[in-house]
Amino acid sequence: MSGAGIKLELQRSAETKAKLQVLLVEDNPADAELMLRELRKDGFEVSTTVVRTPGEFQRRIREESPDIILADYNLGEWRGVEALQILQAEGIDIPVIMVTGALGDVAAVECIKQGATDYVLKDGLARLPEAIRSALREKHERSLRHQAEGDLARKVEELARSNADLEQFAYVASHDLQEPLRMVVAYTQLLSERYHGKLDADADKFLGYASEGAQRMQVLIHDLLAFSRIGRQDAVSENVDCKVVVEEVLQALASATRESGAVVTHTVLPAVWANRTQVAQVFQNLIQNAIKFRGKEPPLISIQAEKAGQQWRFSVSDNGIGIAPEYAENIFVVFQRLHARGEYPGNGIGLAICKKIVERYGGRIWVEAQPGSGSIFKFTLPSRGPDERVGARP
Amino acid sequence: MNASEVDILLVDDSPEDVALTLHALRAENLASRFFVARDGEEALEFLFCTGAHAGRSFDHPPKLVLLDLKLPKIDGMQVLKQLKGDPRTKTIPVVLLTSSKEERDRVIGYNLGVNSYLQKPVDFDDFRKMVKLLGLYWLVTNQPPVTNGNPHMKGQGL
Amino acid sequence: MKPAHDILVVDDNPADVALLCEALAGSKHRSQVNSVSDGVEAMALLNRRDKYTNAIRPDLVILDLNLPKKDGLAVLAAMKAGPELRRIPVVIFSTSQLRSDIVRSYEMGANCYVSKPGNLNDFFSAVKSIEEFWFSFVHLPPRGE
Repeated sequence: MSGAGIKLELQRSAETKAKLQVLLVEDNPADAELMLRELRKDGFEVSTTVVRTPGEFQRRIREESPDIILADYNLGEWRGVEALQILQAEGIDIPVIMVTGALGDVAAVECIKQGATDYVLKDGLARLPEAIRSALREKHERSLRHQAEGDLARKVEELARSNADLEQFAYVASHDLQEPLRMVVAYTQLLSERYHGKLDADADKFLGYASEGAQRMQVLIHDLLAFSRIGRQDAVSENVDCKVVVEEVLQALASATRESGAVVTHTVLPAVWANRTQVAQVFQNLIQNAIKFRGKEPPLISIQAEKAGQQWRFSVSDNGIGIAPEYAENIFVVFQRLHARGEYPGNGIGLAICKKIVERYGGRIWVEAQPGSGSIFKFTLPSRGPDERVGARP
Repeated sequence: MNASEVDILLVDDSPEDVALTLHALRAENLASRFFVARDGEEALEFLFCTGAHAGRSFDHPPKLVLLDLKLPKIDGMQVLKQLKGDPRTKTIPVVLLTSSKEERDRVIGYNLGVNSYLQKPVDFDDFRKMVKLLGLYWLVTNQPPVTNGNPHMKGQGL
Repeated sequence: MKPAHDILVVDDNPADVALLCEALAGSKHRSQVNSVSDGVEAMALLNRRDKYTNAIRPDLVILDLNLPKKDGLAVLAAMKAGPELRRIPVVIFSTSQLRSDIVRSYEMGANCYVSKPGNLNDFFSAVKSIEEFWFSFVHLPPRGE
């Protein structure tokens, strides 16, 4: 752009800054003229509309968007503050400056309370331009803030939607993967069994690896599915008797407990408000882990519960191999394992599942442990539902 | 025994057959939650939660009903007809276990929607084998429509 | 030699049909297994239409739920609407463990519902149990003609 061009640009932007659309609520033309003169003196390029009655005012603000409203406090048949009320009723946010002859403190406070940005005395009109600039600045900041809040709300909504999409994807993927996987598992196993010793030694080995890999994948997909199911809406909460749940879990784990010689005891266990299957999953994973990560002796596992405000705090303690404190948080991360595949079976999702479930109900899960001296896993769950009535059906 | 959480309803008026059936089921650990009705009327009260069994709920039906045909008060076919004719009870698995050899009974039974029809073997040993097979099939292999609130767990998950 | 029993398997997964046959091979029951891969074929066979005019009515139908063209529940409904077909025992054999699928199947008259297990041994056991139960002590409905 040429030098002259730049100058013109600056001039133009300086001009547009000072352009002002004013709505004057004033029944005295002389007063109106005085106000406008003051503004022009200060460099504003003013375009004005003057209204005298509430009806006119209401019509104007619906049709036009003035930058600022200057209202006389005393308008004969009505008061300037009524204009404020009309604005509020219409839900319109335009700064209003009350202009008035004499104004007692009480009336002044009333104006501000009703929503006026400022007030200026008629014999102090020199202050008017600055009051207007200040009001406009404030309005500008207000709209910036609203916009930022709107942006934030949209981003949060987007994120929530994206999260839901991811969960849905994980669910669908693991669900749909199960079927072809079932075929691979069945046929590698069938091949392995039927042709064992009939081909060469390599074939046996290869088939064995393929079969194992497929079966491991099956467990993994099953666990991923369980993990991605946790937040789903169809997992309804209800009053769950933990004693009954633990007993059912122990029944399901009967062969594992028998093989390891595990002894599981529990104190009186309360009822919690959560999804029954998910509560069972938490207990099952913790007890299974306690059995799996045992030391040289048969596992001794004890389950207890303690009231903690609106929640119950459960602890599952064992006499197993324990956990080094530096890994205490790590173990709850999906697929995080602390041991090589050969040492202990499992893919490291059990505790991640427990954590996700517990957190779904606003609870926490953590471990207190030392290597070699067993572990205590603790978690919290809500004791009652959001609007559970006393004496509601169990 | 909590009459609301029953796995098997045995409807038979022969005490010997009932004893034999329960014995065979116990050998497979399948008889922990059972109820015996000695006539058709009691069976209907049990399944429709009326009369002496008014405290029962339709939400906790048995996983299996073993029904004889020859019963006092109301016969087995009538019981079957009412069960399969009512949406609240039609999905309960019913197995006719009867000494009747009538082909007619078989046709009527299957037409009414009985899940399976077995003839009680005369031989003591065969009877036991049959009950074992029956129990394992309907209580282990089969998925009943209602699980009595037990979470579906197969000992999986890590 | 005439087989002792005829089983119709309705399943669109040939791998599962092969597994089922594998499970039944060598069983003492000498069952003949016929399979079709969709619901429309199933009804044509059961009604002895088109290329199935000489088909034998099966003693037992093992029915999957998710089928192309006409799904398992539709086949079940069609069978229950026919005076002869309605008596043929139907075992739903499906990977679905959805409570709604199970309940719906019973509501529409399936005799029983067996979940296809994920591992090979359990699959074989389940199939063998089905054959064992229905063809030993059960009195099947008389074959209509």
